[in-house]
Amino acid sequence: MKTVKEVSILLGVSVAAAFIVNYFLPDGIALVGQWDTSQGVVRAMAKNDIVIKGIEIDTVDEARRLFDSGKYIFVDARSPEDYEEGHIQGALSLPVGQFEERVAAFLERLPPEASIITYCSGRTCQDSHHLAEFLLEFGYENVTVFIDGFPGWEAQGHPIE
Amino acid sequence: MNNFLNNSWIELAARWVLGATFIYASHSKILAPAVFAKIIYGYDLFPAILINLLAIILPFVELIAGMALIFGFYPRSAVLIVNVLLLAFIVSLSINIVRGHEFDCGCFAINAEDQSTFSGPLLIRDFVYFTLGIYVFFYRNSRRLCMGATEQ
Repeated sequence: MKTVKEVSILLGVSVAAAFIVNYFLPDGIALVGQWDTSQGVVRAMAKNDIVIKGIEIDTVDEARRLFDSGKYIFVDARSPEDYEEGHIQGALSLPVGQFEERVAAFLERLPPEASIITYCSGRTCQDSHHLAEFLLEFGYENVTVFIDGFPGWEAQGHPIE
Repeated sequence: MNNFLNNSWIELAARWVLGATFIYASHSKILAPAVFAKIIYGYDLFPAILINLLAIILPFVELIAGMALIFGFYPRSAVLIVNVLLLAFIVSLSINIVRGHEFDCGCFAINAEDQSTFSGPLLIRDFVYFTLGIYVFFYRNSRRLCMGATEQ
């Protein structure tokens, strides 16, 4: 009985502390997250969530239509190794983890009015949203996110290189 | 061997190693619950409705149990909690090794967290901690540096 009481006290303190800290923590998360890939990018729905639904391209067909229009630049947010292994045809590499080192060269290459579509490894990945946020901060006006990313594109047999 | 295991300094060392490990492990999870939630999602073992609750609560169970071990506050009960957690980790890792499930979202945040995709070493490590926990649980002499009365 003593053990049951002690375990209950320790767990009770843990649960109380957990909810209080999560409530005040700037990085705190919702009680229920979005973990269904058919509903979009999976995520914990944190207070500082960077997913902006309004800038998403959520079908491969739509991404292909924009690709065919030739007016959009695809930008790959994944690691350089992933990019080397295969990427959407004509896409530029701008790994979100190396954004600071690489952004200067990127700014020289693309003017702020360029139409940019970011992508990463699909709906379990938020890196394309992070990259879009960074690019918007750096003055790019027309940035969208292709949420099915490279795996979705490749699975439909669209052009890669 | 019995003398060695009955030595209260050895018990203290085992308890502190476990406590420090659990406090350390809780740290990054508490600061980045969204990343931890994603890792739980990656295990593909829990219903969606529980993922965030686990991500919020589990790190604090680790932290409080770890602190209780260090300070000798309800040490037997704290180590019981720690071992239940370790058993849960061992079972989860084993299920995914057996069914060949490895989650790689290709995400920068998860990779930067150094979430090793090699489950084998993690499993061995957890077994070592689990053994330490069993020892601390069944230790019968008086324990050193405990808050309040000396725990038996």
